[in-house]
Amino acid sequence: MWNLYLPIAGNSINILLLFGLGGAVGFLSGLFGVGGGFLMTPLLIMAGIPSTVAAASDSNQIVAASTSGTFAHYRMGNVDFKMGFLLLLGGVVGGTLGVQLIKLLMALGNADFVIKITYVVMLGVVGFYMFLESLQSLRKKAVAVEARKTEPGRPSAYARAIQALPWQMQFDKSGVTFSAIVPLFLGILVGILAAIMGVGGGFIMVPVMVYMLRMPMHVVVGTSLFQILFTCINVTIMQSITNHTVDLVLALILLVGSTLGAQVGAKLSRRLKADQLKILLASIVLVVMVQILVGLILTPHLLLGYKGGH
Amino acid sequence: MKKLTWIGLLAAVTLVPAVAMAQSAKIRLFPDRVDIGAFFQGIEVNIQGEMPPGCEAVVEIQGAPAPEVLLRKGRRGGLWMTVGEIQVENAPNLYLVLSSTSDIPQLQGQETPWGFPALRSRLKFQGVPKDQEMDLFSKEFLELKKSEELYRSLPGALKVGNSPEGQISLTGACPLPAKIPPGNYQVKLSVLKDGRVLEQKKEKLEVKMVGFPALLASMAYNQGAFYGVVAVLIAIATGFIMGFLFKGKAEH
Repeated sequence: MWNLYLPIAGNSINILLLFGLGGAVGFLSGLFGVGGGFLMTPLLIMAGIPSTVAAASDSNQIVAASTSGTFAHYRMGNVDFKMGFLLLLGGVVGGTLGVQLIKLLMALGNADFVIKITYVVMLGVVGFYMFLESLQSLRKKAVAVEARKTEPGRPSAYARAIQALPWQMQFDKSGVTFSAIVPLFLGILVGILAAIMGVGGGFIMVPVMVYMLRMPMHVVVGTSLFQILFTCINVTIMQSITNHTVDLVLALILLVGSTLGAQVGAKLSRRLKADQLKILLASIVLVVMVQILVGLILTPHLLLGYKGGH
Repeated sequence: MKKLTWIGLLAAVTLVPAVAMAQSAKIRLFPDRVDIGAFFQGIEVNIQGEMPPGCEAVVEIQGAPAPEVLLRKGRRGGLWMTVGEIQVENAPNLYLVLSSTSDIPQLQGQETPWGFPALRSRLKFQGVPKDQEMDLFSKEFLELKKSEELYRSLPGALKVGNSPEGQISLTGACPLPAKIPPGNYQVKLSVLKDGRVLEQKKEKLEVKMVGFPALLASMAYNQGAFYGVVAVLIAIATGFIMGFLFKGKAEH
């Protein structure tokens, strides 16, 4: 009774299940500023959607969730458009480079090994670093407030190096001054990684903004969503033209759930402290990393599978 | 006169089974055309048929074979991952086999052309590194299709009963999965006696996408760019609408 036929996926699926999936992933998207593709695509495949259709339709629903999330964060003054544009520009260049790199690896026959290892290493490094840093930070605040005076003003080699670069820019919303080269370069780096891993790159971009661009967590979330919005518009249109794998019915049900979830997530992100947000995102990233690692170690149920997906 | 009556009676006794045997087997499907609409979630197609007494029946429903490229998993550095591609040929996109007996009946003295073992023997693989792995991958391929309910073996799914004219009636329900690809399917009834095929009958089953799913699929395949832009615009509009709906509550 609650089933709908998905014409591109070529399968029937329960509407409530899709709505719930969309809502849960949209909630995380609004809360942390990640697209949620690294969670949604595997869940859709488990629900019986072909992997190529799952990945492409997920991009379409992320457009809605990130529009909703960006809009919510924009009203709260959490979107740094200048920074977002520079990261996006770098991301497009990096994505193009990453696709060429994958082609080269495929020709060498090592693509899947590199993709899987990059996935586990990136998730592991990002997750552990963010988890430990946020935990330390939470403990510091709880135990010794007086230690705060030693916190600011330590000019690290990294800080000195980026201050010496040309084209310094003031990013008012983020409250930082950087050379335009820094976000461009970091955008390229994340773009390459995202293309290799086949994901939007939100969960790499968020830590990059927090730790390397020193942006406040709430501005990070809004700016990341703004950038993801454009990346996913591009992916949706490209997939529709080249692979015909966007299932509009699937995306529509998911996006109704995810846009609602994104609004709730954005509201909750305002109530939580930055360290709490970081520790929650780190936990999810680590759970996904462990799940992928287990999948790599355990003998698979079947030795054959369909093409596509992550 | 008495002699003539005896000859007539004898002829009747010897000819009745032959006439009954000569009576043609029949098969029909209800419905014989399946429409995939917006709420399609698989369907049961009813099979009705007839066969001579003392026989066994096998019904196969299969789609056209289409080459399929699959990913092969293997171990690299102790980790399981995709290690190559395999092209599978001669594999129908749907294969359902039903029988009137508790197992799928086999022919005597010759290869049985139906059932999973026959299907496996017809599969051709390209990209399998070693010949001895052919058997493993044909088994894996069948398991993959069975997990999607596109390949099914349903022994005993055809029920037998008495019908007028001395024939045996066949009835059965054949579950078509929601994943069934649109297309034309061949339905074949094989009637067996003493391990040999007595008769075969064929019917057609048409599966067609209709209404909104058909419109959307046609647009996605024929006007990809327009479809993509529409998908993006709908997503952005929904995102904004949700944003406006939550506006009052979100502002501080």
